[in-house]
Amino acid sequence: MTRLDSKIPSGPLESKWDRHRFSEKLVSPNNKRKLSVIVVGTGLAGASAASTLGQLGYHVECFCFHDSPRRAHSIAAQGGINAAKNYQDDGDSVGRLFYDTIKGGDFRSREANVYRLAQVSTQIIDQCVALGIPFAREYGGQLANRSFGGVQVSRTFYCRGQTGQQLLLGAYSALCWQIERGQVTMHPRTELLDLILVDGQARGIVSRDLVTGRISAHTAHAVVLATGGYSNVYYLSTNANGCNVTATYRAWKHGAAFANPCFTQIHPTAIPPGGAHQAKLTLMSESLRNDGRLWVPKVSSDHRLPGDIPPIDRDYFLERRYPRFGNLAPRDIASRAVKVVCDEGRGVGPGGQGVYLDFSEVIEQQGLEVVRERYGNLFDMYHRITGEDAYQVPMRIYPAPHYTMGGLWVDYNLMSTVPGLFVIGEANFADHGANRLGASSLMQGLADGYFILPYTIGHYLATAKLLSIPDDHAEAREAIQRVETRVNRLLTVKGRRTAAMFHRELGTLLWNHCGMSRNEGGLTSALQSIPKLREEFWRDVMVPGSGSAFNQELEYAGRVADYLEFAELLCHDALHRHESCGAHFREEYQTEDGEPRRDDGRFAYVAAWQYRDGAVPVLHKEPLAFEFVPPTMRSYQ
Amino acid sequence: MGLAMTGLGLVVFVVFHMLGNLQLFEGPHALNGYAAFLRDMPIVLWAVRIGLLSMAALHIGLALQLSMRNRRARPVEYTIHRYRQASIASRTMAISGMVLLLFVGFHLLHLTAGVIDPGFADRRDPAGYRDVYGKVVHAFQNPFMVVLYLAGQLGLGLHLSHAIASSVQTMGFEHAALNRLLKAFGPVIGLIVVLGNVAIVLAVFFGIVR
Amino acid sequence: MKFTLNIWRQNGPHERGRFITYEAQDVSPGMSFLEMLDGVNQRLLGNGEEPVAFEQDCREGICGSCSLVINGIPHGPDQGITTCQLYMRRFSDGAFITIEPWRAKAFPILKDLVVDRSALDRIMQAGGYISVNTGGAVDGNVILIGKDQAETAMDAASCIGCGACVAACKNASAMLFVAAKVSHLATLPQGRPERARRVSAMLEAMDREGFGSCGNQYECEAVCPKNISTRFIANLNHEYLRAGIVESSLPSEPESPHAESS
Repeated sequence: MTRLDSKIPSGPLESKWDRHRFSEKLVSPNNKRKLSVIVVGTGLAGASAASTLGQLGYHVECFCFHDSPRRAHSIAAQGGINAAKNYQDDGDSVGRLFYDTIKGGDFRSREANVYRLAQVSTQIIDQCVALGIPFAREYGGQLANRSFGGVQVSRTFYCRGQTGQQLLLGAYSALCWQIERGQVTMHPRTELLDLILVDGQARGIVSRDLVTGRISAHTAHAVVLATGGYSNVYYLSTNANGCNVTATYRAWKHGAAFANPCFTQIHPTAIPPGGAHQAKLTLMSESLRNDGRLWVPKVSSDHRLPGDIPPIDRDYFLERRYPRFGNLAPRDIASRAVKVVCDEGRGVGPGGQGVYLDFSEVIEQQGLEVVRERYGNLFDMYHRITGEDAYQVPMRIYPAPHYTMGGLWVDYNLMSTVPGLFVIGEANFADHGANRLGASSLMQGLADGYFILPYTIGHYLATAKLLSIPDDHAEAREAIQRVETRVNRLLTVKGRRTAAMFHRELGTLLWNHCGMSRNEGGLTSALQSIPKLREEFWRDVMVPGSGSAFNQELEYAGRVADYLEFAELLCHDALHRHESCGAHFREEYQTEDGEPRRDDGRFAYVAAWQYRDGAVPVLHKEPLAFEFVPPTMRSYQ
Repeated sequence: MGLAMTGLGLVVFVVFHMLGNLQLFEGPHALNGYAAFLRDMPIVLWAVRIGLLSMAALHIGLALQLSMRNRRARPVEYTIHRYRQASIASRTMAISGMVLLLFVGFHLLHLTAGVIDPGFADRRDPAGYRDVYGKVVHAFQNPFMVVLYLAGQLGLGLHLSHAIASSVQTMGFEHAALNRLLKAFGPVIGLIVVLGNVAIVLAVFFGIVR
Repeated sequence: MKFTLNIWRQNGPHERGRFITYEAQDVSPGMSFLEMLDGVNQRLLGNGEEPVAFEQDCREGICGSCSLVINGIPHGPDQGITTCQLYMRRFSDGAFITIEPWRAKAFPILKDLVVDRSALDRIMQAGGYISVNTGGAVDGNVILIGKDQAETAMDAASCIGCGACVAACKNASAMLFVAAKVSHLATLPQGRPERARRVSAMLEAMDREGFGSCGNQYECEAVCPKNISTRFIANLNHEYLRAGIVESSLPSEPESPHAESS
């Protein structure tokens, strides 16, 4: 039976982490040399963890499915990274970043974790500067900041619109150094397909070499998953096509609890899907909402061109519903408002999936040049994708699945319920509660990888009893066998439908029933449809080629197979949470004005699900106590 | 790097060579005197000649070595390959280099060693100098020679227009404000050298200098 | 829209490749080039054939995975974008499009249009980093960096490592890639202590991997999806010359910190 022990240190919030670090056991330098750690994933969290562990003297085996560690999807983060530096002297502090994150997460995250994140945030910036990351600077040479994601202070550090790229390249370069020193062995184009547990401890992984198809076991003294989020379960999302749930889902099947899977963030400003061919959705910076106004026609039968619709026939729905914040309402609220008007049939563009984001007013008031200077690259991008000139006609935008706050449950030490299995970055359920604030994901990934995991894993390695095991240990052989059976099964179905067809169908189903707003009926019907779709998949999927060669379709089909199981877990979680909080909106739990109604009395807990073979997963609850920030209602009206 | 340095050395030579030649326009006395002045210092002259020849040999050797390595770097060619901005000159460096090599060989045999058209080899002018002036004038009254020399100059111009700017880049000169100037530098020098040389050939051919 | 595609197919690094012609039907102008290929692959799968392997991931022009030579130009006819950002409205209906992989000795073909670009990673491992341990860094504002300097470093750092520069270069040279990284770190004060070692090590690694040399034709710059300037190549050459001078004037063996002067 899984027992959830969050291992949060006692004592005052401000000194929990310091005291915890002091009480942790250390591994002596000559013992570190004898210990090896597997790190799966090379995004911000994985690359920073692998490089730091290598520096400390451990031997690290690092895996990624890309051709190079530098391509992990952290690279696509645009906006920036938060840190409580208070360089602007505008009232920021560790306490305020902590408070904003707890409140932004709608009171569904752990205070101790979030406080530690805010504390560590300042170190991240220093470390990144030392690594040569070209952060934006003021003329005087100091680091520049901007305000981001609707907070009242300027605490976001950035590198143009490519902050994620630069931070990842920094972590990647640190990783390169350790590879050169022989501390890290890199395995690119290698995908994790199973875990190896020995005596209940995570001791290795089974991977498939994506070039040769070779399936092999790798053992170590601990395993770290840094494998990102699962937004791609929706088929269309802002994630890269390769992002998948396989690693975390495989871990779940080995007993690691999965926490809050239903907390999935939908970003309001993506370019609407153009048709059935659409492979992914492109995110447009949220900053567009600073000057653009969102609207739809007042009546659904209005098919005039946007320019021909007079102001009186337009509904500026965000300004109407949230007069105080208007077009700058937070992500979850804006996304839902868009969905409401589209559900009413007032959406614009193909399939009625879209609302106007109109710049005509600001162009008229401040001139075309000002707008071009501010948003020129975004307008160009929009033009390239849609063929429309947003200087002439309003942009169309539509929400898209973006980031997943849910993930594998971890304790204060970032260890899952499987001893020796650590989970960092977006892959864990971590610090964002029910909703993530802008510029916080980069902060969390690097905090976990550079500054938290390297401490906490040492304590585990120093205290756990870890006999050395060979790569051909019985458990390893058995795990290889499992993987081979599964790969062969995929190849022998020889059906008529492609993995993409199943994926798209699953995605549509989830988007409709477990997307921006959810209700009991929809979730129940989804829970009935998913197993049927899964059965069809295993009966009718078409995977050509062989398992012992480069086979992209085989990789993809394996990932889709896991989505088809994971989707059920997602719906179970959404169904059980009888409240609306953060990104999770249950239609049954809303106020009369359509605002979410949180239920702290019954649901102030982390929902951690345990796998049971062939049965409904078991729910464990980790109660959340708010000692330092009393829960309040989020209101943006 | 070696290619750029030897190349720049040869550029310096062609510039001075052209300037020296321009004395043709000052009449036989000046040019023949200049030639005699050079020949009066045999050690310096031969040192420079050997230096130039070995620099040229090194330049050619390095170019061959580099192009062989570059060929190995792409064993399978593209079926279609389109250039975006590479200049004609940059794409024909091997050809223009070859033209240049043939031309220089001919030129040395012709005007320096006097193997071709040996009639003028030892003729003296009234001042007792070797009559270089007369030799040049004689040569370029021949349309065949004019065509040959103009072709050689075309090769030189093409080669230089890429070579100089390219060498500057390879030597790592980079300056935000002067960059455009540096890049324009190459073709301009190339043009000046070629124009100077061509002027001599044409001036003789059209009878302006006789 | 309809297109005829002439696509390079090759089963493995040591197999012979050849062009095969496919028809792309029902293409809409709003499709990206890769979505058009997705469509072709779905049809191939429907016929039980193996789809065309090509690399892709983020589909927003930042991960650097996509790598197609389209009608003789890496990343296709538009400038400053990656293949995934290319849309079919750019082509005229019925066009004949030839698609080839990056071709270079240092980038062996793994399958069809997928090449192995790990040579670029090995160049990075040779020296494309600043050797600082995690922890103990000074406050970010202690090191002042002028805005222009930071912007120049950022210009260089925006390289996505796609390898189009190599693909476009007549000599399959990786100079622009190396130049971008070397210039990024050499421009910043944090990168200065190791600059001499870095540039030498990275250029050596580049030669070792079998890339060609720079002919200063600037085709790399013309196809670079991030518009990285060849001025950084001049800068790289400068760094290399400087390293030659500085390194030769340094004592070859630094004195051991434990050596006692007697």
